[in-house]
Amino acid sequence: MLEVGRRMNERTVLVLCEKPDAAVRIAKALDEEGKPLERKMNGVPFYKARRKDEQLVIVPALGHLYAVAPKVRNRSIYPVFDFHWLPKHEVEKGAEQTRVWIDAISSLSKEASEFVLATDYDIEGATLGYTILKYACGEKDREAKRMKFSTLTTEELGESWGRLSPHIEFPIVESGLCRHFVDAMYGINLSRAMTIAAKTWSGRYATLSTGRVQGPTLDFLVEREKEVNSFVPTPLWTVKAKVNISGSTYEAEYEKDAIDTLDEANSIVKDCEGGTAKVTSIEVKKFQQPPPTPFDLGTLQTEAYSFFKHTPRRTADIAQRLYLEALISYPRTSSQKLPPSINYKSVLESLSREPRYMKLATDLLVQENLKPNEGKKEDPAHPAVYPTGNLPERLLNDPERKVWDLIVKRFMAVFGEVAIRQSARVSLDVNGRRFYLRGRQILKEGWMRFYSPYIRAEEVLLPSLVEGDEIRAVQVIREDRFTKPPPRHNPASLLKKMEEVEIGTKATRADIIETLYGRGYITEERIIVTELGFDVVGVLGKYCPQIVSVSFTRDLEKRMEDIQSGNEKMEHVIDTAVSQLRPILEELKRREGEIGQVLSEAVRKTRMQERIVGGCPTCETGKIMILYSRRTGKRFLGCTNFFKGTCKTSFPLPQNGTLKPARRSCGACGWPTIQVRIKGRRPWTLCFNPNCPSKEGKT
Amino acid sequence: MRCEICGREAYSQYCDLHKKAYENLVDNYDVWKKASKVTWTEYLNEVLKNPNTGLWVKEVAQRLLSSGSSKE
Repeated sequence: MLEVGRRMNERTVLVLCEKPDAAVRIAKALDEEGKPLERKMNGVPFYKARRKDEQLVIVPALGHLYAVAPKVRNRSIYPVFDFHWLPKHEVEKGAEQTRVWIDAISSLSKEASEFVLATDYDIEGATLGYTILKYACGEKDREAKRMKFSTLTTEELGESWGRLSPHIEFPIVESGLCRHFVDAMYGINLSRAMTIAAKTWSGRYATLSTGRVQGPTLDFLVEREKEVNSFVPTPLWTVKAKVNISGSTYEAEYEKDAIDTLDEANSIVKDCEGGTAKVTSIEVKKFQQPPPTPFDLGTLQTEAYSFFKHTPRRTADIAQRLYLEALISYPRTSSQKLPPSINYKSVLESLSREPRYMKLATDLLVQENLKPNEGKKEDPAHPAVYPTGNLPERLLNDPERKVWDLIVKRFMAVFGEVAIRQSARVSLDVNGRRFYLRGRQILKEGWMRFYSPYIRAEEVLLPSLVEGDEIRAVQVIREDRFTKPPPRHNPASLLKKMEEVEIGTKATRADIIETLYGRGYITEERIIVTELGFDVVGVLGKYCPQIVSVSFTRDLEKRMEDIQSGNEKMEHVIDTAVSQLRPILEELKRREGEIGQVLSEAVRKTRMQERIVGGCPTCETGKIMILYSRRTGKRFLGCTNFFKGTCKTSFPLPQNGTLKPARRSCGACGWPTIQVRIKGRRPWTLCFNPNCPSKEGKT
Repeated sequence: MRCEICGREAYSQYCDLHKKAYENLVDNYDVWKKASKVTWTEYLNEVLKNPNTGLWVKEVAQRLLSSGSSKE
């Protein structure tokens, strides 16, 4: 029976989207009147829209609805090399909601005569669309058309509908399928090998994982950690002359950056005593600073970390939300190009409706020829990240507003003129010793005006000086310093490193870093590798060094990319992966006992470490840790020196909920604190100092 | 054989990680001696209290001090 309002001879087209938010936008954009009907099937939303003689049924997925799983279901068996796609709810805990989505899509597909894939135009969008079309819609992957877009604006979606690709992008799908198979094969087998080894040895279960990209990434961190932990600082000295010019004091640096011996540093200071500083030369250099290049995802993540301290994952999530609200273009892009087809002028005109961008956008619009300063990186699927010109339809929260502002300002800055800066170096002679007074100045702001406040250009203005001037040297001082260890990675620098060595993809790098945190291999923002992280890399490096080898992973990555360009076949890549992995797993199985011992010990130490709250405030040499009474089974805080018989400090703890060290000191008394989580309540931080000033007046 | 400091597998008194820290400690003594004429014990104490010193180096220095190791 025809539904009310449905016209005769109408074709029904099922439009498959990636997420519910995208489906709403696509439905509104494609409906002739912009008012699609919202319907639900077992709680799954879908939209009915009309366009000419077509009835469109726009239905969202929830990202991937299918996952790769081994055909052998027993989790204690490895190696496993036979994998297939299964509904996600059959494979992953907590994915139960995918069951109703698959059922709904499957049911709606039966009424459709045509299919259009409207998921994100990238490897994951293509792969998840393919699996749904194939398995939920009954092998419709071959007949589905493809909608390609980089923004969710009404205009672009409408245009995209008018030029549908006749089929989905099969080479990209093949590459995506291959990536899923290879990653599952590595991840599942290696993780099982480690987890089973540890459990067999200790009898206790702990999830230990690694993967094709996870291993080398953790290895970078371990190598840096080794450099930091075995670093011996060596002394060095610097000498500065504080000079007074027209009532202001300036610091001039001695010509040698680092002085190796104390004697030499002292002798420089002694030589300069009571001297005046004579200007012997002035060097001025002007240089041009071109505008920045448009944002690809990695650069956006790095910049957002630098200014807002957002982790790469957080920035990616925020950018995805801004994309789904049609405020920015598709963020998972490697491109640093902005093609003229995005219509720069139209975007700027739209942005000028926002008061805070009005002046800047208007200033750019007077330029006759708007030309972005593009970078080298390209992406065949999408341009660089840019604002669509749409203004927010709701009040953005603070992190969203910041990221949107950064993207808008970056977009405007790439059209700006070059900035001109000047550096000056004044050479001063103090009793035969040479010092330099350095200054930096911006002569022409150019693009910097559009990118403010995201500029790193501190100005140091020097007074007017000419050669031969004599200045009273106020004070020549020696500074005692030490060499510093290499800096620890942070999530943004690690992501950059992964990009540099070409492992992982723009879509997966941030998640891999989060997994390393989640598994307890790394902690802290300035990344510290835990004992467990060390020992996992230690085991992999010893028994299967290929797994932590960058070149091994990169070669595989390259071959998977070649599938996209038609230069490689999925079957070949999978066969190679199997032939490389099989001997590695056989070796791991053969050495299961010794591997289990190392990993079990690492897990035990890590669990102990996780229970340490901080230093003991009483004896100051022991550590306060969460302990359990053998007699009552109750938990309490006690000093580790109790076991040596030198400190009996203890404190009571709440017996309900989960506890973990908060890793920060009490603001009132400076003692270490604990985070308490009880189901249904907001977590809170507890100071265990019974005399803490914050507890005064509380019972 | 086990590392005297951390208990990891070792081929001498230290595991690979602490061995590397020990080697760095010994190598850098010459730099310190030339720079500020410190004795081995003074050097170990200086390294121990320096915030830039790596954790494993501190562990090794602490052990050397408590065992009364002398290099001179």
